[in-house]
Amino acid sequence: MNPMEIIDKALSQGRSKLLENEAYDLLAKYSIPVPEHCLARNMEGLQACSSKVTFPHALKIVSPDIVHKSDVGGVIIGLRNINEDINAYRKIVENISRKAPGTRIEGVLVQQMVPEGLEVIVGGIRDRFFDIVVMFGLGGIFVEVLHDVSFRVSPLTYRDALEMLDDIKANKVLYGFRGMPPRDREALAKIIYGIYQLMEKHRNIKEIDLNPVMSYEHGAYIADARVIVGQ
Amino acid sequence: MVNQRPDLEPFFNPSSIAIVGASPKKGSLGRAILDNLVSRYRGFIYPVNPKYIDELGLKWYSGIKEIPEPPELAIIAVKADFVPGILEEAGMKGSKAAIIISGGFAESGERGRQLQEEASNIARKYNIRVIGPNCIGVYNALVGLDTFFLPQDRMRRPPRGPIAIISQSGAFLASIMDWAALEGIGIAKAVNFGNKMDVDEVDMLEYFGWDDDIRVILMYIEGLKPGRGKDFIEIAKRVTSRKPVILLKGGKTSRGARAAASHTAALAGDYNVLKGALKQARILESDEVLDLFDMGKALANLRYPRGKRVVIVTNAGGPGVIMVDNLIRYGLEVPELSKELQEKLKSVFPPRVAVRNPVDLTGDASNEAYEKALTTIVESGEADIIVVIALMQPPVLKIELGDLIADIAWSHHNIPFVVVTMGSDIAKQLEERVEGRGIPVYNFPERAARAVYAIAHCSKCR
Repeated sequence: MNPMEIIDKALSQGRSKLLENEAYDLLAKYSIPVPEHCLARNMEGLQACSSKVTFPHALKIVSPDIVHKSDVGGVIIGLRNINEDINAYRKIVENISRKAPGTRIEGVLVQQMVPEGLEVIVGGIRDRFFDIVVMFGLGGIFVEVLHDVSFRVSPLTYRDALEMLDDIKANKVLYGFRGMPPRDREALAKIIYGIYQLMEKHRNIKEIDLNPVMSYEHGAYIADARVIVGQ
Repeated sequence: MVNQRPDLEPFFNPSSIAIVGASPKKGSLGRAILDNLVSRYRGFIYPVNPKYIDELGLKWYSGIKEIPEPPELAIIAVKADFVPGILEEAGMKGSKAAIIISGGFAESGERGRQLQEEASNIARKYNIRVIGPNCIGVYNALVGLDTFFLPQDRMRRPPRGPIAIISQSGAFLASIMDWAALEGIGIAKAVNFGNKMDVDEVDMLEYFGWDDDIRVILMYIEGLKPGRGKDFIEIAKRVTSRKPVILLKGGKTSRGARAAASHTAALAGDYNVLKGALKQARILESDEVLDLFDMGKALANLRYPRGKRVVIVTNAGGPGVIMVDNLIRYGLEVPELSKELQEKLKSVFPPRVAVRNPVDLTGDASNEAYEKALTTIVESGEADIIVVIALMQPPVLKIELGDLIADIAWSHHNIPFVVVTMGSDIAKQLEERVEGRGIPVYNFPERAARAVYAIAHCSKCR
């Protein structure tokens, strides 16, 4: 499906939040690096997905009714082979039917677990003055407690995106710190610029939260995505 | 987006002006506007008020339509209810611009909102640009145009100079201009647009950006019009590539987080977003009113430094140390001078003179000591910016030091100079002498440090 179809489908079903697989497919169209993933709608589908996606896997429930997947036992990580995938699939479906009976289940997402990296957050929202606002920050305590984030607005250039990486107080962390490698700043800037372009092109996208994004010495990966759409 | 100069010239350089609501009554608003224009503006002035025929040596008109020519600019200072009708009259007559001084519009409830809407439709119909309503209007020192309704004995007018001010608040603008007059800070043009029915800060920024009489733009804003952010960024980026813009934001704390559906939304308070936007547009942000002018003064006579190495020459230890602390705080460098330069300085000064940086000439430094030190330092190429601290209390220093500093500064165009002097009468004398030659002077080291920060920042913003 192309981005327009993904968004229209969600809107026509009355959903404001894209399903995780939809969000990944949408982001991938704008060259934003999403993990390998595959939606399994049943056990047969799971076996197909399991052999398609690079191990290790995380399995995540996909449902329009669930906001916090982990709270209902909808996420199991660190799966190393197809047998573990099968067990995890059963466990997730069982958890959901026990803890959230009556929930609509679209399927279970088989997702490649991206390697550990420096966790950063990239986001975008609509603003009544500036239209698109993009945000960048380091994950965890930096954003939650210190609110160490930077913003830029439309019209955004790639250079603006690069500059906002340096605009956070803890910017040194991106340049390598205490034996940790420097991070691929261009890969991060491309993600920021990518969600800007996506929101510029599609007025129906209201918010994007990529949290966390794993940042490496070379490249970066989205590890979780939340995309909000609306009329 | 518009890629040409906005046509705001009729506001700032009109050939003729109608003042609707002019009055000969002493102490009235209509009288103050009339007096200010009559005393300095050289174009045609048409007072409009049906109650008068011949007052103050001027011919009065009962309405705009009676005026023999279309007044290019109409200043409207009558009760809100009459404004739409007058605007209609100005439109039919062929006026190009109107400044609506009157309040009682969108700022004051539903009836006012309707009146403003009505006025706005009329203005669009006749293609009249409008500043206001609910504002004090415009000031252009170059042609003596001044629509402020404040008499000159209450609000002094500053000298002509290279600074322009864009202010969302009228009272703020009037009071800081009065203060600028006292401080001798030169203002070229100023504007307050109140309710922004038409002209807003973005239009003004673009217009002042084009204006070669203006070398630095100071802005006080509380909020943009919704949807204007994109234009603001595009225009500001272009303007700041030509001249510095410094902005003070009012109402930073009024609104916290949005309804938090995501991390991004939770953190994106209006002010946080604006801060990012200002950086993107290369607009310098100021947190204090005084700071706005301190930075503005430094940038008005702009010389662009090659780097951020500051060398301090002082006759007092304490202020030199405070200066260093503040410069470092703002990300500047105060490097130790090279061995070679230190030797050179040592060879001409007694041993008590510290030559590392700050160069402390000590309390008995004479004009000649300053001259030797400054000349040696500018010629070494080790200073991108020079801070001269001259405390004038020791009698050995003569007031001619001011000219000496200015002479050296002006023979080295690419090195910005900032001067600090502290104290009362003698300090004021030095200040006047140096500022008279276009070099900024500050009464405290930390204020001068902000000025240096602004200078260094703007070498990056081009």
